[in-house]
Amino acid sequence: MEQSRPGCDGGAEAVINLQPNSTISIAYHPLFGPHDDMVLLELDEKLLPDVLDQRISLRGHLDEDAVLCTRSKTYAVKFVGNSNSVLLIPPSNQFSHESHIKKNTDEEVVASVIKVALGNMELVEIAPKVDKLKLLLSRNPLKLGELTETDDLDEMIDNDKSLYRWYDLTDMIQASDEELMTALNAFSAVEINGYWRIVDENYMDAILNILLQNSILNDWSLNALNEDEVLDVLESDGFTRKIARHCLQVYGFKVDGDSLWRLDERKVCVHFARGILRGGKMKMESFMEEWGRKVPERMSVNFDMLEGEVLTETLGIQTWVYAFGISSLPCDPAARFSALFHERKKWDWRDLNPYIRDLNVPGLSSDALLLKYTRRTQPTPDSEPVFTMR
Amino acid sequence: MEIKVKCRCGEEKCKEWAIVELQGVVEVQPEFQDSFRTLPMAKLCRPSSQENYTFSVGYHELSGSKVPLKKPFLVMKKIKHSIADKDGGDTSSVSKVELEVIGIVRHRILFKNRPKALISSSQPVVKAKLSAPGSVAHTN
Repeated sequence: MEQSRPGCDGGAEAVINLQPNSTISIAYHPLFGPHDDMVLLELDEKLLPDVLDQRISLRGHLDEDAVLCTRSKTYAVKFVGNSNSVLLIPPSNQFSHESHIKKNTDEEVVASVIKVALGNMELVEIAPKVDKLKLLLSRNPLKLGELTETDDLDEMIDNDKSLYRWYDLTDMIQASDEELMTALNAFSAVEINGYWRIVDENYMDAILNILLQNSILNDWSLNALNEDEVLDVLESDGFTRKIARHCLQVYGFKVDGDSLWRLDERKVCVHFARGILRGGKMKMESFMEEWGRKVPERMSVNFDMLEGEVLTETLGIQTWVYAFGISSLPCDPAARFSALFHERKKWDWRDLNPYIRDLNVPGLSSDALLLKYTRRTQPTPDSEPVFTMR
Repeated sequence: MEIKVKCRCGEEKCKEWAIVELQGVVEVQPEFQDSFRTLPMAKLCRPSSQENYTFSVGYHELSGSKVPLKKPFLVMKKIKHSIADKDGGDTSSVSKVELEVIGIVRHRILFKNRPKALISSSQPVVKAKLSAPGSVAHTN
């Protein structure tokens, strides 16, 4: 009977570089076992540099499906089983087992199998899951009076107050760093003393009104606001520079280098429309009249500005307008459509489009999204299509 | 919770691992169940300069070929670091999990056909049975 002869340990190299007309022995590794802590991850070649530079992490709580994040993208991690036997052979020097296999060049070359893999993980690009971020931030918005011009750091630090630092968020939110930052900007969050906050509507309203009043007093052009000047004046009115600058960011955009800001007419007008409709629905005529009166003199309102902000309904001969803001809706497509059809059973395209055009699901076009979540009906070939719940 | 994926390969390339994939299961005979580690399982042979291979387990022989993976596989290992508690760490300790990249796989030697019997062959030490259930083989 042939004895088991320990051979020269060739490892994976011996398999990969097996020369024509030669034979090696495949053996069980001294450490052969299930090795559940060892997994295979299928990865696109273009992500390899991110791995080498250690820019990749898995994010999610124990009750969530893990996602893999690069610096800019988020991927779902799926396990794909394989009914074949996948024999996994490490390089010769990866696991020390000198005592078992002697290095003896006279012997045949052996490559050892450390485990049989039952499958591998694969990645599917997905949209970041940022609804939780909105929920967390909305628990404790920054309120008027909470911050004083002295910018007191210590007073607001309290662990029970639902305040989140950047690394708290990367721990809790399933999104890549870039996507998380984009979402924070989209939700108009601002980092104050190390904590990411959204600012209460009343606070924003107060500071915007004071900015507009000062623009009249000081004869500032709303198209060319000098940052330092604005910040100085708002600071003397009791707002921190950080919040004052945040106000410029939310309602305006930078022009011409780094010190001039221009207020965005649409953003400012939408702000006032929201304020008016917070009291409930209004008749169209009275709403338009009040809206036109509330906005700064040098700005003019246009109902198209309110796409994705308000809906109208006709009762008798009256048209009523009421607030229905896209920012209050979930970002997850299934939840978004569910919320939309909860609000209205039937949508025509003109109304629906503003509420879904921001949805971006990797690998799914907007038509495919509509097909997946809605039923489209067209009573006659010339009529507008109507979308109902699927 | 965030689990960082660590890679110590640095500027060098990650170490390449090998995969031999076959339909069915290589079973160890019951008498070797507790002592099969380090024992030989099969012979892998490359009979010509082409990327064709044979894999002989006991008196069964499989024929297959080397195929590149469409996307590479990373071999990752879960590593738990225990972080001692601030208060002395006698009862509770927080553990931090990391995944370390320990290798990469770019090719596999795939045996997707059922084995053929070798008529005359010496009885090998570990008689391994090769059972090929009615599973569908990977076709790529």
